[in-house]
Amino acid sequence: MRSQHATNRLASYSTPLILAVLLVGLVVLVAVFGDRSLARTAAETLVRVTLVVSLWIFVGNSGVISFGHAGYMAIGAYCSAWLTLKPQSKALFLPDLPEWLMQAQWHVLPAAIAGGLLAAFIALLSGAAILRLSGIAASIATFAFLAIVNTVYSNWEGVTGATSSVVGLPRYVDHWVALGWAVAAIVAANVYANSASGLALRATREDEVAARASGINMYRHRLLSLVISGFFTGVSGALLGHSIGVLNPDSFYLGITFISLAMLVIGGIGSLSGAVVGVLLLSVLIELLVRAEQGISINETQLALPSGSQEILIGIAMIVVLIVRPNGLTAGKEFKLKPQWLRQSRLVGAKSTN
Amino acid sequence: MSKLGVFDIAVRYGKVPAVNDLTLHVDEGERVFVSGPNGAGKSSLLKAISGAAATSHGRIELDGDLLTGRPPEAIARLGISMVPEGRDIFGSLTVEENLRVGTGLRRDAEAVEEDIAEIYANFPILGERRAAAAGALSGGQQQMLAIGRALMTNPKLIMVDEPSLGLAPKIVDQVYDTLCTLQEDRGLTLLIVEQSSLRAARVGGRMVLMRGGRIVGEGNAADMVDRDALAAAYFGQSPEKTETAT
Repeated sequence: MRSQHATNRLASYSTPLILAVLLVGLVVLVAVFGDRSLARTAAETLVRVTLVVSLWIFVGNSGVISFGHAGYMAIGAYCSAWLTLKPQSKALFLPDLPEWLMQAQWHVLPAAIAGGLLAAFIALLSGAAILRLSGIAASIATFAFLAIVNTVYSNWEGVTGATSSVVGLPRYVDHWVALGWAVAAIVAANVYANSASGLALRATREDEVAARASGINMYRHRLLSLVISGFFTGVSGALLGHSIGVLNPDSFYLGITFISLAMLVIGGIGSLSGAVVGVLLLSVLIELLVRAEQGISINETQLALPSGSQEILIGIAMIVVLIVRPNGLTAGKEFKLKPQWLRQSRLVGAKSTN
Repeated sequence: MSKLGVFDIAVRYGKVPAVNDLTLHVDEGERVFVSGPNGAGKSSLLKAISGAAATSHGRIELDGDLLTGRPPEAIARLGISMVPEGRDIFGSLTVEENLRVGTGLRRDAEAVEEDIAEIYANFPILGERRAAAAGALSGGQQQMLAIGRALMTNPKLIMVDEPSLGLAPKIVDQVYDTLCTLQEDRGLTLLIVEQSSLRAARVGGRMVLMRGGRIVGEGNAADMVDRDALAAAYFGQSPEKTETAT
């Protein structure tokens, strides 16, 4: 009986493997056949995978929709910028930074991790207050958190540059770096979801009363998942900053909040595979629409969609998916190897050792 | 000393009182049915004991430990398991995951595996369908799963709210057989809300009759069935009046 449980576990651990193979395959295709603009699109898409998978760690397991994750992104992005920008440009653009931060010139990897840790710490503080609320009240509080972060970062002139953009970030994030972090986030999400805490949290998502009657401390598990989620969200913010090289508080506000939630909902909020599928499909759709807006010329006739139709068509796509498949494209299912296959291969392995 | 002591508690929803001046003692290994009409406060009593509803007055003790004011998860850890009305299983989780939910607190990993094996031995159908989504089980199977899940926290007292709700009589028989067997095997204390006093009489145990948030009668379930107290509880007449009427 334990071996069957073990095979089921093994099957659930195959999910990140399949997703990672999918992403590596895409990146290899882009690296071999793609041009520079396609490589940039791939990097952007993988940064979004990191973001949406991080969002899923909290939203998918707890069932609480968060509008505040763009705030954790901003915190991670600015933290990494403070640590990696040249001291001269910091003296010029961010004169109020403390002296040690002014002189800091970290390597990009520890800076991204520091960004994630700061975001995780802020997630711990904000979550400690927000997660005492339940259901929709918690969601609204996350939105308030986003507004607070945006207001602070838009006005703290000497530290964040306020609404004038921070420029000159080292642009080290290409599709390979983004791939590495996306896979790391996927593995972390899968390990968490299959842990005792992840299971407990999914139980509270199903039925709060019954879960608490089974001895589950809902608050603690929600907070833990928010902290893990906050770490990878902060990292995704740092990655975004270092892929475009420019930071502005409004890059981490409503636009990215809604596009990341749309990706999660279209893919299917109930599964990790859904989060990844949603990002890939919507990113392809966005890219196609952006190109269509720029126009295609066929025999000297210029065909182009009116600008702005991208947002409208994505909205329509979301509505269609919600009508046809209310639980998203994956409807809560994970890509995984069937336990039967794993059992068979184990039997074969056992025979061959005899 | 009694296992569970409920001393003079009151439960209110806003200004509406659901339970009033209620005192109840349950001894170790006892089987107690709570019966009475709709709105009598039976479920509110169970919710108050499990911590899901706050009491506005009085105190509740398990083995002399004060439960009042503790959150539901802390009460569950002290050894009270509740099978809520309508079963409330976790529908999108698998059968096995439902059983494992309550074990996150336990550090004895091997005993957890043994307990799961034991539950599969008690309920073979759950073992067969361990990888299926719990929401796909039939009503009776879901009730079995809810009971199995309640056992996984190693409780001393199990409270079951309306185990017969929405189930075929034959299935209800099975549910009660299982509960009684488990009680004998593990020395559990059972507190069961049961609308049907006939059913309670058939299974056997002590019966507590509630009406309007108060206990209005108490005795051996088998004796209570044909007594006028039942009529009084349901129709609001005092036993004397019923006597004069007949």
